Amino acid sequence: MISTPHARDYPWLGLKIAVVLIYLFVLGPILITAAVSFNGSERSVFPPQGFTLHWWAQAFDERWMDPLQFSLKLGAITALVSTAVGMPLAFALVRHEFPGRRLIELLCVGPLILPTLVTGIALLQFLHVLALDAVVGFRALLIGHIVICLPFSVRTIAISLKAMPPSIELAAASLGAKPWQVLCEVTLPVASAGVFAGIAFAFVHSFTDVNLSLFIARPGERPVTVAILNFLEFGFAPTLAAVSILTLVIPLILVAVLERFVRIGDFLYGGNARNG
Amino acid sequence: MSNDQASFAGTGPSIAARFVPLALVGLPTVFLLAFFVFPTAYLLSASFLASDGMELTGGLTLDNYRIVLGHRVYAGAILRTFVVGMGVGALVIAASYPLAYFLTRTTSRWKGTLIALSLSPLLASVIVRTYGWYVILNREGALNSLLLNTGLAAAPVQFLPSTGAIIIGLAHALLPYGVLSIMSSLNTLNPNLERAAMSLGANRFRTFLAVTLPLTLPGVAGGFLIAFSLAISAYATPAILGGPATETMATLIRNLMVVQLDWALGSATGAILLVSALGLLLLATAFNNRRGASR
Repeated sequence: MISTPHARDYPWLGLKIAVVLIYLFVLGPILITAAVSFNGSERSVFPPQGFTLHWWAQAFDERWMDPLQFSLKLGAITALVSTAVGMPLAFALVRHEFPGRRLIELLCVGPLILPTLVTGIALLQFLHVLALDAVVGFRALLIGHIVICLPFSVRTIAISLKAMPPSIELAAASLGAKPWQVLCEVTLPVASAGVFAGIAFAFVHSFTDVNLSLFIARPGERPVTVAILNFLEFGFAPTLAAVSILTLVIPLILVAVLERFVRIGDFLYGGNARNG
Repeated sequence: MSNDQASFAGTGPSIAARFVPLALVGLPTVFLLAFFVFPTAYLLSASFLASDGMELTGGLTLDNYRIVLGHRVYAGAILRTFVVGMGVGALVIAASYPLAYFLTRTTSRWKGTLIALSLSPLLASVIVRTYGWYVILNREGALNSLLLNTGLAAAPVQFLPSTGAIIIGLAHALLPYGVLSIMSSLNTLNPNLERAAMSLGANRFRTFLAVTLPLTLPGVAGGFLIAFSLAISAYATPAILGGPATETMATLIRNLMVVQLDWALGSATGAILLVSALGLLLLATAFNNRRGASR
């Protein structure tokens, strides 16, 4: 380390105080939302007055459970499809040299770098021009979510394929394994961390999306984020705090559980932050 | 067998091996062309065509852009969007630099947990995080009840809707991107340079200003531009913390596309947003490449 912090190291102490304040800024709104969801008062008063589970009971009403289930279903199917479709693509991009490779690489990051909101209105318009307005709802959302989640699947799988030395595949092949055996027994198991990370990121990205879903959802077929947004137009209710915390906890649990098996966090930091 | 081996190693493709990538990339490529490239291209071309409501009436025109950039309300929303973007970028840097510096330098055994905690907001929807600010800032909200209870204010202060609230909410939502960008810049910094400065008598503060900060400026610029770019295309935060008087490009697009059903103006605003966001990201990539070159 550059210098070990000492007791009388005032700049370092100052930095520590600043960092505590920044963490308060980061976590404050989430903690206050959690507190308000148990608040006895109808208003979002702080400090909380009394304790009630009333808002949580309301959050588990079908009014909120339906969009929540819709989001879960949409996210799960999106994650599985974009991983299944993204895997061969990542494989081709990492393992093969072919004409148009750069172009396809660019195509894959496209949905990541163009504003999702614009992708949403483009899709809305496009479906209308093709007279496919009837698709708007679950099917259009699925198409749109696969488009915006595919880059995450391709990227994470490509990272884990790149980290694997091709020699282990060659070794298996030279020992007589057939190509599909090499794929199933060597390549996929070694790249599985990337595959699981890809599934997790695609799910979280789909589950938390607002900008695309906003345009191609319809009443009865809308994810929970859009449902919260629509409800907020009428004003505040502590139920919403409970629903918000619920939508926050779901991806958190998923990632925490997965993290026990594969270090998916490494894919987020690009692998260099842990040992800085 | 030898063909397959060759294709695995990526050298000397035979005729059969040449079709392998085609088969692998075919489906996803067609999917992205059909549902991403064509729609976006259609949107861009529609912004240059005359139209009536949701239907194109044909005829090349620049009228859509003339209206969007000329009308006081629309141009005001676009201008406000850029002000918000710059404010968010500045706030993100101001908050994420100390955090990133601490996280890369600390020897605490909680380092991993602290890094995860600072990035954890990425797992929550923007809407959930913005909602927290609504709870704090609304007229009957947490901050106002705290101010009234402690006697710091005699009457509720109106924090919402306001451009300032939008900036704070977005900076909060986009902070992890700044932390990631600056942390990767600090990690590639050669620690001997800081040691050299300190052994020559510079104190920690001087070392930071003369060595650390200048060498990590590309990371700062990258974080600023990424936050800027994501801020101008965010919908939920300006929709929740803003109002009709604080429209941004994203809420304007939503209004034009869904409420007023004026798809030509919506497309033109979308095209302006697309070009601005893309331009900022390309600039961020240029800064990242420069960092790679200077190492």
